[in-house]
Amino acid sequence: MQMKNDLRSFISVMNRKRALISDTFKLTKRRAGNETQFGAVNNGEEGLLDVKTTLQDIMTLFPRKLFNDSLPQIVLKHQLYSIHKDRTQVDRQLSDLIDQGEVLMFQLGFDAEAFGLVFAEDYKAKVLAGEEGRVTKGTVEKFLEKVLPSCNDLSFNKDKMLNEFLFKDSEITQLVKSGVLTVRDAGSWWLSIPNSGKFTKYLIQGRKAVLGLIKKSKYNEVLKAQLEERRTNSQVKFQIKYHIHDIIGAELVECIPTTSGILLRCVD
Amino acid sequence: MLGFLTARQAGLDDPLRLRRAESTRRVLSLELNHDRDVDRIHSNGVNTLDIEVIEGRYMLSGGADGVIVVYDLENNTKKPQYTCKAVCTVGRSSRYVHRFSVETVQWYPHDTGMFVSSSFDKTMKVWDTETLKPAEVFQFEGNVYCHHMSPIARKHSLIAVGTKDQKVQLCDLKSGSHIHILQGHRGEVLSVRWSPRYEHILATASTDSRVLMWDVRRASGSLFSLDQHNGDKSKASSQAVNTAHNGRVNGLCFTEDGLYLLSTGTDDRMRLWNSANGENTLVNYGKVCNESRKGLKFTVSRGCIPEFVFVPCGSSVAVYALHTGELVTMLRGHYNNVDCCVLHHDYQELYSGGKDCNILAWVPVLRLPDIEEGTVAKKGGSQATVNPAFQDAWSTAPHEGGRGLTYCFWILLTILEVVTRP
Repeated sequence: MQMKNDLRSFISVMNRKRALISDTFKLTKRRAGNETQFGAVNNGEEGLLDVKTTLQDIMTLFPRKLFNDSLPQIVLKHQLYSIHKDRTQVDRQLSDLIDQGEVLMFQLGFDAEAFGLVFAEDYKAKVLAGEEGRVTKGTVEKFLEKVLPSCNDLSFNKDKMLNEFLFKDSEITQLVKSGVLTVRDAGSWWLSIPNSGKFTKYLIQGRKAVLGLIKKSKYNEVLKAQLEERRTNSQVKFQIKYHIHDIIGAELVECIPTTSGILLRCVD
Repeated sequence: MLGFLTARQAGLDDPLRLRRAESTRRVLSLELNHDRDVDRIHSNGVNTLDIEVIEGRYMLSGGADGVIVVYDLENNTKKPQYTCKAVCTVGRSSRYVHRFSVETVQWYPHDTGMFVSSSFDKTMKVWDTETLKPAEVFQFEGNVYCHHMSPIARKHSLIAVGTKDQKVQLCDLKSGSHIHILQGHRGEVLSVRWSPRYEHILATASTDSRVLMWDVRRASGSLFSLDQHNGDKSKASSQAVNTAHNGRVNGLCFTEDGLYLLSTGTDDRMRLWNSANGENTLVNYGKVCNESRKGLKFTVSRGCIPEFVFVPCGSSVAVYALHTGELVTMLRGHYNNVDCCVLHHDYQELYSGGKDCNILAWVPVLRLPDIEEGTVAKKGGSQATVNPAFQDAWSTAPHEGGRGLTYCFWILLTILEVVTRP
């Protein structure tokens, strides 16, 4: 009996020999009040974090009809944080996708930390469709072919454009006119999505309206499931789920797990 | 934990492994303890705390009322209920007390005979602990936000001082001079920190959003400035180029081995830097609320795997895992903003002080002995309450025991088979 116990502990130790100490303190999913989150990959197990699938899932929430199909589907980087808890991993996978050229990141302009993500083929298709019949079409095509595959930057400055990519001043003006570049400051430009001004306006409007909905309620808190069911007023043009991911990811509301689901409370 | 103990006993594991596992378990089960209290002496907020490194017995605290108190943390009464008593105080009645709020206190790194305090009354005083009189007073031109003495220095005894002025001053304890100046910042210097790895390396943080690294032996300026975008000039607006944060940088802390540096800023971000080349490791901690106009004092654990950062966040202390950036837990207990926290590395106890004039002690919850089944009716929670988000993988629920047994038998048979083979 003594030997059996010794042998058993010996075996468990041998199994653990290669294990890390941090594995003994693994994070397990909390058991109470667990509904499947939208697009969540890790339902109970330490599932692999797939940023690309999550991107595609959130993109289905983007309202294409609202912009008459002229804009590619845009997801904000912090919306990914509302689904996956490990931000560092999300960032790493995202930068891999950007390096591979599958996803493009844009500085949206209204917040230093708000970045928009678009699939590269989507972007190219929509931009070229928008340029049909315009004078600037040739320059834009040249830009998309030359610059985008090689350079992953969010902004470009003058000497880079002139020397590295051999664009002339007049061509740069054409690019700004077509909306592919927006002015950042004297001599440098942000990469941008043409006609995305409307998108930014509706996003900020909708965000304010949804936050207002939460603030109006008693104690400034609403259950997430209830908020998704609410009727939205004319200020909110996107689907409310899109806005919910936005405010959770940007940490404008606190997520508190309760027995009836996740509670969103406004952070003052 | 039994697995670790057996392995240690049999010599299969390094002794350090058991120590690390137990330290980690203790840090994960930190809780506000009814039995441990700290004497309430301050009448205004507590700005700074420091525990001496020699014995880990005495703690210094500096308050917004200018008062400095020394507490004895050791429990010599045989009872679990213990209040850390104040051993001595430099109170308002003392002739030498600081006139305005004390911002930083630090024990002399080599013994407890001396400590240094700096305050908004533009002075830094070096005190003799026996007599509670200042042995030396350094005068400055602006409010002193912070000072730090290198914990490992053998070749120098410099105290780095950050003031409202843009210069970082180095005061020499041996000669009393403070002529050595480090120029480079364009705003008030809110935090200074010596590296625990190299005695000549200093990091300074300022309201101009930059963190500069210095080698004090070098005559010409700083070594490098920490850049949050790692040299990628395209990511931010043009004003934010080559800055560590998008706002004031008000807290710095090196990890124990000195290889990484943490910085917090008023842009509500905390960043982890590789201290050798200044690269941003891009670990994302999320929003770390920070509204402090002065320096923020936070701390990193030592000897745990994974390492934890304890940072004051509003009226609670947030605990993050260092390299993955996930929020482990929030320690709530203060009634007002928390300004400083310090970890007792030997006992894994956290002491935090804030504007509510309280110093709270967060103590790891003891593991109560398991009650044998069948003797007493289930007393709910006989197992220690580890943070409910974490569950150790080695404690199995009763119904899973069967599966574990059959697995063990299978291993046993395989080993016996291998052993009996000729």
